[in-house]
Amino acid sequence: MLQFFIDTLLRTTDLALIALGLSMLYGLVKFPNVAHVQYAMCGAFLAYAGHSAGAPLAAALALASALTGLITLALQRLVFKRLLQGGPAIAMIGSLAIAMLLVAGVQGIAGSFPRMFSLPSMDPVVIGAARITPVQLGFCATTMALLLSFVGLLFRTRAGRAMRALASNPMLAEACGLDAQRITYAVTFISGAVAGLGGAMLALSTGAHINLGYDLLLPVFAAAILGGLGNPVGAVAGALLIALTETIVTHLDFGPLVGQELRFLPVAYIGAASFLILLLTLLFKPHGLFGAEVRRV
Amino acid sequence: MFDFLTYLLTIGGIYAIMALGLNIQAGYGGLLNFGHIAFAGIGAYATGIAHARGWPVPAGMALGMALATALGWCIGRLGRRLAADYWGIATLAVAEILRTVALNEDWLTGGANGISAIPGLFENQPRPWNELLFMALVLGLVALLAWLSARLGDGRFGRAIRLMREQPQLAACMGYDLQSLKTRTVMSGAAVTALAGSLYALQMNFAGPEFLLAAETFVLWTMLMVGGIGRTAGVLLGVVLLQAVHAFVPFAKDMLGFDSDRAGALRLGMIGLILLACLLLRREGLLPEKLRASA
Repeated sequence: MLQFFIDTLLRTTDLALIALGLSMLYGLVKFPNVAHVQYAMCGAFLAYAGHSAGAPLAAALALASALTGLITLALQRLVFKRLLQGGPAIAMIGSLAIAMLLVAGVQGIAGSFPRMFSLPSMDPVVIGAARITPVQLGFCATTMALLLSFVGLLFRTRAGRAMRALASNPMLAEACGLDAQRITYAVTFISGAVAGLGGAMLALSTGAHINLGYDLLLPVFAAAILGGLGNPVGAVAGALLIALTETIVTHLDFGPLVGQELRFLPVAYIGAASFLILLLTLLFKPHGLFGAEVRRV
Repeated sequence: MFDFLTYLLTIGGIYAIMALGLNIQAGYGGLLNFGHIAFAGIGAYATGIAHARGWPVPAGMALGMALATALGWCIGRLGRRLAADYWGIATLAVAEILRTVALNEDWLTGGANGISAIPGLFENQPRPWNELLFMALVLGLVALLAWLSARLGDGRFGRAIRLMREQPQLAACMGYDLQSLKTRTVMSGAAVTALAGSLYALQMNFAGPEFLLAAETFVLWTMLMVGGIGRTAGVLLGVVLLQAVHAFVPFAKDMLGFDSDRAGALRLGMIGLILLACLLLRREGLLPEKLRASA
């Protein structure tokens, strides 16, 4: 049972940081950026490059995160700002183009073979009957710390209040003297940096590979949409929900139902389960579970 | 070289039919369908599965079109309450679910190996003629469907869905049932695309999960955006340009000495770059849609 909770928690940390950034930025720019998950893939490769060039792991992660943030910021200033003049649909198609370019760039430079981090082998920590590797433990702790500090920032500081004001009513916020441009750029940088860090930490256990972003696309979007796009805290709740479903689906024994000893769903259907939840949610709650009511400041 | 040209024209024609199908939805109707390739995949798989069960090819094609139209109805109904961007993500999810199923239900789809040895349409003809006949069939279908799609776009239905795209509230005031319009738009695009999927399976003699990759949908979107979304001639121009890029990549690979990883990256990158350049520099495409000032 403990293992079940730990598995859920680990999967939540995989998704939460990236979904959080996606949702946060959606609140300000009002289009779902399909390329967002590819920032995580870039972060993974940048961290790998830094680490294999000799940087200590923490420094490589920090550097990858900052660089991904800068890439995100540059794309926002040079590309998305202009695309948004044509409306959210154009910006969304543009984000497809950016996603293709990022994948093509990384594939051209690094190839399609997965790059594994060379980490010293460590014994898993045993908690009760459950096991968790020190890397995963560090990943979990970092994510939790980031999420908590982010919620603090959003609800306890002036900058956070400005961000929420701008997301809920941009015209009024600008009329009140908020510098919309600066806030948007700051949020863009943060969301990219957080996605890059999330991807880099994910790659510590799975390796950096070009499908990393693509594999995250649907679960991350499912989490962000479940939480109501534009609601960062909802995105984290959505990530938890998706992780919970995926873990339940892998642990559930259908044996008694079909009269067999043991029968599990094929692992490949885990992904399909989260998309199915997404579709069901959209069918009954078109703006996600925590959509409309949290938009107020 | 001759074989390569026939192949290129046939595949180009098949992509043109898929793009025409997407254009009905995205161009005329303004619906952001990011899972369009699912319809083509259904067409391809239906043809393959029907052949494996010993059915004649036309029955498989008809089955594919019927199934795709039914899926189109479901997806259209899903659009009842969703905002455009949420719907786009939902269509992407539908296509991915289908791909997962195709990849895992070995008994039906052959899993990752797909269904091979699907016979071409003109197997009993001598060597160059079978391919030429198939090419002529495909190009004839492109011409017919392009004409039909242009007629559809200018007819009552086309004007209604354009109005829905531009002024949904006005369309509702004029008594159009927007939900029914949306659903019918998706369904008609789906049927056309399933036909193209069947032809693709017959050309390749194969149906597999690669037919359902999301990247293929994005290629179709690029064709539309580059050529001119909402205008039949524009769509066809986009198909020609993108196919030219695809045909050029193997030559570039040999000239530059790229491995297949780099060649794949080059192809993806060029499509991305073309799409982005087009969105930034000429948003309405090379041949823009002509909208009448007053109807």
